[in-house]
Amino acid sequence: MHEAELAEKFAAYAEARLPGARNTRVAAINRIHGGASRQTYSIDLAYEDATGPKTKGLILRRDPPDSLIDTERRVEFAAIKSAYGQRDLPVPEALFLETDTTALGAPFFVMGRIEKGDPLNPFKIDDVEPHRAAIGKQFFRHLGSIAALPVEGSALAAESESPALDQCWRKELAYWANEIRSNAQSPQPVAEAAIRYLERNPPPPAQRLSIVHGDYRTGNYLQDGEGTMTAILDWEMAHIGDPYEDLAWATDLLWCGNDQERAAGLLPWPEAIGIWQDASGCQFDPAAFEWWSLFSHVKALGIWVTSEKAFAAGENDDPILAWSGWFTHAAHELMLAMRLGPKHGAGA
Amino acid sequence: MSDIGMILDRLGRKLVTEVAPKLEGDYSAGHAAMSGLMAVMAGEAWDSAADRLVNEIAGIRGLLALAGKTLSVPESTSVKLSELTAERNALAEQLISLQSELEASDDDAAKDLNAKIWMHLMATAMNRMPSPPDFPDAED
Repeated sequence: MHEAELAEKFAAYAEARLPGARNTRVAAINRIHGGASRQTYSIDLAYEDATGPKTKGLILRRDPPDSLIDTERRVEFAAIKSAYGQRDLPVPEALFLETDTTALGAPFFVMGRIEKGDPLNPFKIDDVEPHRAAIGKQFFRHLGSIAALPVEGSALAAESESPALDQCWRKELAYWANEIRSNAQSPQPVAEAAIRYLERNPPPPAQRLSIVHGDYRTGNYLQDGEGTMTAILDWEMAHIGDPYEDLAWATDLLWCGNDQERAAGLLPWPEAIGIWQDASGCQFDPAAFEWWSLFSHVKALGIWVTSEKAFAAGENDDPILAWSGWFTHAAHELMLAMRLGPKHGAGA
Repeated sequence: MSDIGMILDRLGRKLVTEVAPKLEGDYSAGHAAMSGLMAVMAGEAWDSAADRLVNEIAGIRGLLALAGKTLSVPESTSVKLSELTAERNALAEQLISLQSELEASDDDAAKDLNAKIWMHLMATAMNRMPSPPDFPDAED
């Protein structure tokens, strides 16, 4: 669907849902690059109501033919609703969810647009300077705050399963192992060995059940260039589970230019962990972190092989999927091999 | 015969440095930049692809032989990448099975062979890692 047609259909959809709106039109629409898991558009919606003319900034997230991550938009919408307005978390307002394909040809949801801020490129994390420490403190405080959000009664709890504390790891590992085995275009000896290792050496039970963002990392938040994180985005992998999953994913070496000295490439490790503990109420456990950190590499491989499959099959020709299936897959395979090899007697 | 690696390299650099900037503001600018970046990487990988596969195949065949496994995967009759890849993949399936068997055993010989498999996997992972060319804003 071309943007002009999309704009026209979206204006009609929005007018029917905005109380008292008339003469509704899309004044501007721009597709945002990089959102391969959903087609993401920034929209200026102009309309009139009883109080006069208005313009509202919106973000439209529409399902593509295939995506990096096979998720239900209903879950993403519920996760954003669960975090919006809580504990100073900079999360956009969830506005409309449409699971029917009639309106725009594919399911979609709509959020309020946060007007200030740009994403940081995880491959150029030094661009955060001179605000590395300020962003780092917010990064780990918000991460801890998400872990501390109430699960019971949340919108997300109504849409997704809540595992037992000692089953969080098993559920996630089974899911991503299946993704790898179902989608890999070639045998994955490193991933398979890692899956077996993680199964044989389970982590301690989760200290608490949390809302897990699922993709909390540099690249998925906005910052204003003046030291403030303005938005936490990309909740499509959100679920309920062990908060260590988010901590390990957020500090995966791929997202921080391979910076081993600073957590997430932002803060010295002790400071980062201290902030996360204070905000989450969890106690740092090195054994749990080690397991979830290795798991992060496996989860990443699950995403990358799925991307490669979609690209190879022609279901989605966004080059980011080819990049994911090649470069980032190779990076995470290398990380896993270099960490697991020495555990099995191979010299590093 | 033309130098395929060189052609991919030049095409990629053209996309990144000339085409993508002209598309700035359009969604396709990101596609052009990413495509150019990967074309340069593909040019580099082109040169070493057969060598890498031949080494992976020889490594796995050696490990399976150490385990006393009957080598049922026929050797490729050419060095076409597609044939080498098929041979490597068939051998890799056997390597996964072998490693799984070894992990179930406590004896030193099994642990020693498993360590050798990990050495192979580490070396393979290092050789597969592409080096991304340094283009300003290319991977945005």
